[in-house]
Amino acid sequence: MAAGASRDTRALSAGLAGLALCLLLVCGLSIAVGSRSIDFSVVVDALGGHAQNSTEQTVVNDIRVPRTLLGLLVGAALGLSGALLQGVTRNPLADPSIMGLSAGAAAFVVLGISVLDIRDLGGYVWLAFAGTAVAAVLVYGVASFGREGATPIKLALAGAAVAAGLWSVTTGVVMTDVDALDQIRFWQVGSLAGRNMPVLEQVAPFLAIGIVLALVCGRALNGIALGDSTARALGQRVEATRALILVAVTVLCGAATAACGPIVFVGLVVPHVARAICGPDYRWILPYCLLLAPAIFLVCDVLGRIVLAPGELEVGVVMGVLGAPFFIALVRYRNLAEL
Amino acid sequence: MTAALLIATTVAACGSDSSASEDAGGPWKFTDGSGETVELESTPTRIIAHSHAAAALLSFGIRPVGIYADVPVEEDPGLKDLDLEGIEILGETWGEIDVEKAATLNPDLIVADWWPVEDAYSGTEGGVKAESKKIAELAPIAGSAQGDSIVSVIEGYEDLARSLGADLSEEGVAGRKQRFEDAVAGFEAAAGAKPDLTALAVSPTNELLYVAVPEHAPELLDFRRWGLDVIIPDDPDKAFPYWENLSWENADKYQPDLLLVDDRSYPENLEQAEKQPTWDTIDAAKAGSETPWPGYWIHTYEDYAEQLESLTAAIDKADPKLGSS
Repeated sequence: MAAGASRDTRALSAGLAGLALCLLLVCGLSIAVGSRSIDFSVVVDALGGHAQNSTEQTVVNDIRVPRTLLGLLVGAALGLSGALLQGVTRNPLADPSIMGLSAGAAAFVVLGISVLDIRDLGGYVWLAFAGTAVAAVLVYGVASFGREGATPIKLALAGAAVAAGLWSVTTGVVMTDVDALDQIRFWQVGSLAGRNMPVLEQVAPFLAIGIVLALVCGRALNGIALGDSTARALGQRVEATRALILVAVTVLCGAATAACGPIVFVGLVVPHVARAICGPDYRWILPYCLLLAPAIFLVCDVLGRIVLAPGELEVGVVMGVLGAPFFIALVRYRNLAEL
Repeated sequence: MTAALLIATTVAACGSDSSASEDAGGPWKFTDGSGETVELESTPTRIIAHSHAAAALLSFGIRPVGIYADVPVEEDPGLKDLDLEGIEILGETWGEIDVEKAATLNPDLIVADWWPVEDAYSGTEGGVKAESKKIAELAPIAGSAQGDSIVSVIEGYEDLARSLGADLSEEGVAGRKQRFEDAVAGFEAAAGAKPDLTALAVSPTNELLYVAVPEHAPELLDFRRWGLDVIIPDDPDKAFPYWENLSWENADKYQPDLLLVDDRSYPENLEQAEKQPTWDTIDAAKAGSETPWPGYWIHTYEDYAEQLESLTAAIDKADPKLGSS
């Protein structure tokens, strides 16, 4: 552990700069490559606003650019929220799904479809947001009972219980409402397809606020990672910090799920990769997650666009297929308990 | 499953058309779409039907005593405007039938579509709850086979209704059939007047644009038979060959003159499509040349006539020079 903390700041900064460059390249890839093959020169012309063919102009500017920006923000949000959750619960397996947040979003979206007859992605955004918030309040509320307050273990248990309860709501509605099933089964896979400008505009402010909030939590997380009593001894207000971090997680995870549906593995895996690179210091882990997560997320999305062209494979599926073996390899390579 | 029944069930040598019975009241015999022959000591009068089959029977003047539907009956397009007064509703969710209540109706025949691919009737397919499938133990089942034409489905129920004693020459019944025949003639004339007109049947969603493969859509095969050139997509999904899946980036792969939009979630699906930047790269979409297409639910001459009349109007309006393929 000490080795990680004492690693050269300059090397970590250089790594971060290299990662930023990689992310930039991935963004370029995500704009250049899709289920429709368009010459690179045409893509450049389209970005400049003077492509010959108006369809290709539309595809590049109105589909790929907003999709890439959304992937960037959502990827960052998922990576950061995973790191925050793992830190605050001191649980290496924590991610938005284990805290019941994705389950809350899904339950509200499915109820919105079934009861309020909402069919459009813009509507799902608010539903998912509300669902995430309700789940977060429930989990934190349940975990707060008792003298010690919301301890990591109680948060994890409350999260699992609330998740189970909320998934049963979703399943119940879907079982009795075929139409809702039809709509939700696409949303539930997790996808960047068909989102475009309106959805991006809706969620971008929340994602931006959440990302900033997450990045300033680094020092506080380092304290909490040492254990509640040590953090208190160091003069930290543990309860307040934990509540603030959970607010950041809710905003990030709510907005990300709202935009793309529940996406697994980014939030779980990326913090571990970041930790493998920079050790246990959250002031480094968080910026690494900020850049690593969207890079991985976008590469998976690009893969999904080309494997089934002229159709597409949802990024949620690609993440699951690639994420699982990657995670197993990571577990075998490193001792994840070093949290 | 039929062993415990009063009747002998035999597999007909040729699984073709149905054969009508003797006089009402006497022994009753009918060969249905599955090729099986149902024999009873007397003509059945207490019928429980799947909602779509019920719509067909009602259109020929046969009233079932009970109905099981896949969706709430007031939302079922196949049941709209029908008087269901006095008919017990035994289910309003796909795969769930209240068999206990059905048993109290003492049915002597169950009527439902036969799905050759699934080797089952509506209500006994895979995925239906085990206790719901017991509907098949209450009485023998018969129904039209789903296949390559909606017309043959309706004709199958016409034969069944005749054997059950329906008066097909009754003014309302005959009038509905006449309206259908006129609608087909009108459709053929409109399509014939525009031999170059192409149509594409689509089901848009937020994520993808699904293009229907006519081979697996009986109404689209009917339209093709009646002279409308419904485009056959060249790359159907291998796992689910009912559709070719197009990402929104590739929405303009086919350029028809007329878009037929799946009516099962219409107009919400059209609204979803219109939010996609590339919907308008289909020239027909940009020109507003689109009309709902009755996806898979039609079971009566009257419903089909109504749909054909509106499609004929859309064909009349469509510009055969709009698309390019």
